[in-house]
Amino acid sequence: MAGGPAKFWLVRIGSIALAVAACLLLESFAKGQSSFVQRLMLLAGLYVTLAVSLNLINGITGQFSIGHAAFYQVGAYTSGFLAAQMYAKSGLVGAPWLVVVMLAGALAACLAGLLVGLPSLRLRGDYLAIVTLGFGEIIRIVVQNQQQLGGAYGMNVRPLIQNVAVVWLLAILCIAVCRNLLKTAQGLRFLAVREDEIASSAMGVNVTRIKVTAFVIGSAFAGAAGALLAHFEGFVSPAMFTMDLSFIILTMVVLGGTGSITGSALAAVVLFYLPEKMRDLPNIPMANVIAGLISTVVAVAIVKRAVDTVHDRKARIPRYALAAGASLLTFFALGLILSKAPGVSVAPSIEGAKLRLVVFAITLVVLMLLRPQGVFAHHEFSWSWVNKMLGKKDVPQTEVAA
Amino acid sequence: MTLPLHLVAGLEMATLPQQVANGILLGSIYALIALGYTMVYGVLKLINFAHGEVFMLGAYSALFASWWLGYTPNNALSGSSPLNLFLMLGFSMFACSVVGVVIERFAYRPMRSQPRIASLITAIGLSLLLQYGGQLFLPSAPAPNIDSKVNPYQGNVEIPLKPKDGAFVAKAEESAKLATVSKEAFDTYIKTSGRDPFNLDNEGLALRNASQEKEREAKALLDKASDSGLSISLPKGQLIMFFTTLVLMAILRYIVLYTRRGRAMRAVSHDFDSAALMGINVNSIVTFTFILGSALAGAGAMMNATFLSGTKIDTFFGMLPGVKAFVAAVLGGIGNIPGAVLGGLLMGVAETLVVWAGYDAYRDAVAFVILIVVLLFRPGGLLGSAKVEKV
Amino acid sequence: MKQIERNLWTAALAAVALGMIGCGGGDTATKAPEGTGTETPAAAAGARPTPTAEGNKVAGDTIKIGIIGSLSGDQKPWGEDSVDGAKIAVEEFNAAGGVDGKKVELLVGDSASKAEQAKTAAEKLMSDGVIGIVGEVASGHTIQIAKAAFAKGVPVVAVGATRTDLTSEGTHVFRVCYTDAFQGPVMAKFAYEELGLRNVALMTDNKQPYSQGLSKSFNDYFTKLGGKIVGEAFYESGQTQFSGQLTELKAKNPDGLFLSGYFTEVGPIAQQAKAAGLNVKYLGGDGWDSPQLLVSGGEAILGSYFCNHFNNKESRPEVAAFLSKWKAAKNGKEPGTTMGALGYDATKMLLEALKTSKAMDSKALTAAIESVENFNGVSGSITLKGQGGNPPKDALVVEVRPESEGFQVFKKRYAFFKE
Repeated sequence: MAGGPAKFWLVRIGSIALAVAACLLLESFAKGQSSFVQRLMLLAGLYVTLAVSLNLINGITGQFSIGHAAFYQVGAYTSGFLAAQMYAKSGLVGAPWLVVVMLAGALAACLAGLLVGLPSLRLRGDYLAIVTLGFGEIIRIVVQNQQQLGGAYGMNVRPLIQNVAVVWLLAILCIAVCRNLLKTAQGLRFLAVREDEIASSAMGVNVTRIKVTAFVIGSAFAGAAGALLAHFEGFVSPAMFTMDLSFIILTMVVLGGTGSITGSALAAVVLFYLPEKMRDLPNIPMANVIAGLISTVVAVAIVKRAVDTVHDRKARIPRYALAAGASLLTFFALGLILSKAPGVSVAPSIEGAKLRLVVFAITLVVLMLLRPQGVFAHHEFSWSWVNKMLGKKDVPQTEVAA
Repeated sequence: MTLPLHLVAGLEMATLPQQVANGILLGSIYALIALGYTMVYGVLKLINFAHGEVFMLGAYSALFASWWLGYTPNNALSGSSPLNLFLMLGFSMFACSVVGVVIERFAYRPMRSQPRIASLITAIGLSLLLQYGGQLFLPSAPAPNIDSKVNPYQGNVEIPLKPKDGAFVAKAEESAKLATVSKEAFDTYIKTSGRDPFNLDNEGLALRNASQEKEREAKALLDKASDSGLSISLPKGQLIMFFTTLVLMAILRYIVLYTRRGRAMRAVSHDFDSAALMGINVNSIVTFTFILGSALAGAGAMMNATFLSGTKIDTFFGMLPGVKAFVAAVLGGIGNIPGAVLGGLLMGVAETLVVWAGYDAYRDAVAFVILIVVLLFRPGGLLGSAKVEKV
Repeated sequence: MKQIERNLWTAALAAVALGMIGCGGGDTATKAPEGTGTETPAAAAGARPTPTAEGNKVAGDTIKIGIIGSLSGDQKPWGEDSVDGAKIAVEEFNAAGGVDGKKVELLVGDSASKAEQAKTAAEKLMSDGVIGIVGEVASGHTIQIAKAAFAKGVPVVAVGATRTDLTSEGTHVFRVCYTDAFQGPVMAKFAYEELGLRNVALMTDNKQPYSQGLSKSFNDYFTKLGGKIVGEAFYESGQTQFSGQLTELKAKNPDGLFLSGYFTEVGPIAQQAKAAGLNVKYLGGDGWDSPQLLVSGGEAILGSYFCNHFNNKESRPEVAAFLSKWKAAKNGKEPGTTMGALGYDATKMLLEALKTSKAMDSKALTAAIESVENFNGVSGSITLKGQGGNPPKDALVVEVRPESEGFQVFKKRYAFFKE
């Protein structure tokens, strides 16, 4: 450690202050915006938390959870229930209350994570996938049948607190925890488990324990996010936490790059915002939808071939150009032909909003075929990387695995 | 949570045999789907998440076949013949095989060299793509269903377990006669007076009340009579479904155990790489496995959509049955063919027993509870090898 | 270990910082309705909170009104009909000259048969400047819209959402249909008095707030009348096999079966109930209202009864006028569900209120809707003044008949009564 403890604490306190200042700035910016924009900002923060926390389980530890919405739900209902029982008595208002429910939501989700994780994490990844999926269903069904939790109708949560700063602080905290974890010896064990379970267990890593730890931390953050969601929506219902939501979070992690915190966070923002934009799309004629799908297939086929056969990255560029050209050509030619075709031309056009989850699904499949490691792969954002991009000389990192 | 009253008072034993029968019928569909999971897992060690969606497409194929045969929603034919069912079954199995082959060739084969998680994500993506992309092209809002007239086997088969009390039956019949007389009196009144049966004068009301009174008496006696006996009643269509399932499984067993391809399949399942070295065309065997598994799913889908009359078909049709069938495969021991059948049947029975015990609201949760319990205590499944597979 | 200690300290520091935000920062738009903590919506009934937000104002020459309906997913038949009804109402209003020389522009939001989407659609419409929202058909969706609209102070006129406690969301929520507190009792009364049923079993869709609420109101009133609810079974929309539940219900020997869910499941349930030997009368609520029921219910569903808002065959002049407008707009087709008429009524009522509104903004519009009296709707007369958002309306019991006889045949009208 180059700078000694003084520098260490300076950096820590400095970065906390910076994070807080940034969040307050965001908050004051949000105040001037319409409620729609505020809502987007809040939800974006929650999605970043969800994606980064799932990334800890799926990306960093190499497990495969597809039921993250369940822990989100546990957090949300816990805080809703707590608010009903305790809010009036607690004397807390605003952010301090949010901190309390966040901790409670995190704790509850933690326990739920332990409950699911312990039996299934001893087993192979794909079993975990089904168990987490099933756990989500169990939670939903149980909640639906509790009249004191409002059944299928859901329950009101008071007070309504829309605090952009707290939401984003949670997101930053989640990113910081994951990042710092990776820089410790403990964190290396997580990566070891991902890379090779047998080898790492031979090296003395308690594989099950590492898996469960990752699972519990990830669940806890999802629970905390759920607690915030409950207070900003003012309402929770089982319909808000469906399998769709879990798959959306999964897509964020996969797109960002399994293992990359930066990737997950960025993908969360992009994949959250894109569908919101797609809502504004005009109706798309059936001919264009079909042409779009087929031209995607053409492009993917060409690129896939390039990736498989050409190993020099630079040599692939003409192939990429070919793929783009061919797919554009297919799109326009097919679009023109199909729009005249008797069956297709009369088919009803499709609302842009309906394509949202189709786009998610295509993203998943195409990504796996062409770049299974995700856009960022395991790369992280770092200053040395920025410097490199700017053409400066690489600054050697001093603080690795302190 | 309040316990259902009759659970406290003791379980309803009279419905148990019927519920077990219901469960076996339901389980036969799970078994058909579970076979697809288990075979694919056997050869590729991959959970084919999109298998539920193959099942869904099978239901749509059967629907289209029924439309093509003339049973459209607006103008359905009135009679049917077993040939129609056979054609629908064949078309559905064929269409599903094609879908299965396409999925394997274009989504799974390119992923074979990648880590297993990548294949799994592809499978999930594919499953989502078929669910949501299917909505664009397939009729789903409002969700269509196969017209029940396509099924010539209407009505039930009664299997008596304990005969009804003759005295009660006689009483009930007598009372029913009285009710009919009284009903006829009311009907004649309506006809002659030309009144609206829901807007009557005093005379009409008296007649109607009398008729309803008699009807209730007759019903009470009839209920008493039927409660005195015990029988299982099974819809003919679902019985056919069950026996078709048995036949298909017998054929599958023959193929796997006694044909060259079946032997090759077992070899690939045993050791993928060695099988390839021994000159087995692994790709063609994998394709063959997908054809078998998908065809069985298609058969299950066709029978589910046809014999459970009115079942709505949408693009999420395969999601829940798919996941439950996967659990059934794990329960029986994944990769194990008789295990999948056993698991499917147990799964169906477990589900109806949960309903029987009064927890119908938790019916869909039971599959996952079973899964967790199996993973905890017997990770290899009932018939599978007991060793915990790591990595 | 030192690492962990440091991390702990850091976490503590972060927590302190978080707390400071709470004291110094304040919260964005924290205008919570006064209510202590969580209550199920039912418990909050009676005290309707008033939105404090200012709402939207009309800017420029067009008055923006929003409608939200499910244009995709399971409930598409209802969403499409309600949106088409609203479009007809707006066209008519504009053709008649609009109000104050201003024309009305109708913005359409898609709730995609999902509660989450309904809320986002409402947010979107409000940020586009609508001064009032019409919609939705499903209660579960409307509650989300109502919540979003509360924060902005924009009035909501629900089309077909019958869940009783919906209007307790705030004084900005209205509807043009009856509630389940009336619909349930009507069917209970019909079953008890007209059909002479005494032992009815319930089947409830546990995934739908509408179904849970309707089952309860039917249960309460039927018991009050002296009837007996012999059993209640649960299912979830999306399931396809109901023989287990039906076997249990059959063992209770009911003489009637009340299916409070939506038409999508009612059809198969009726067919499977008949196959299971439950040859009794099937009854239901307005969730049955789609001709699709005939397709999925086959012959088993014929002769069943359900409760509805109005009937195409009614002789009132408003009905004939509406049908001719609808047919003109839709190539001579009659509306398949009653949501076309209710969508039309909701929109037209809002537009009529606009004429009497003191100003062209959400707040004045809310007050104007609140004072609507004897509005002559297609689905009957609507009075909202002093009714807490729930107009007292008649309910019709109809019988399910084959398409050739017009799907729903009018049987009996019930004037509004209180339990």
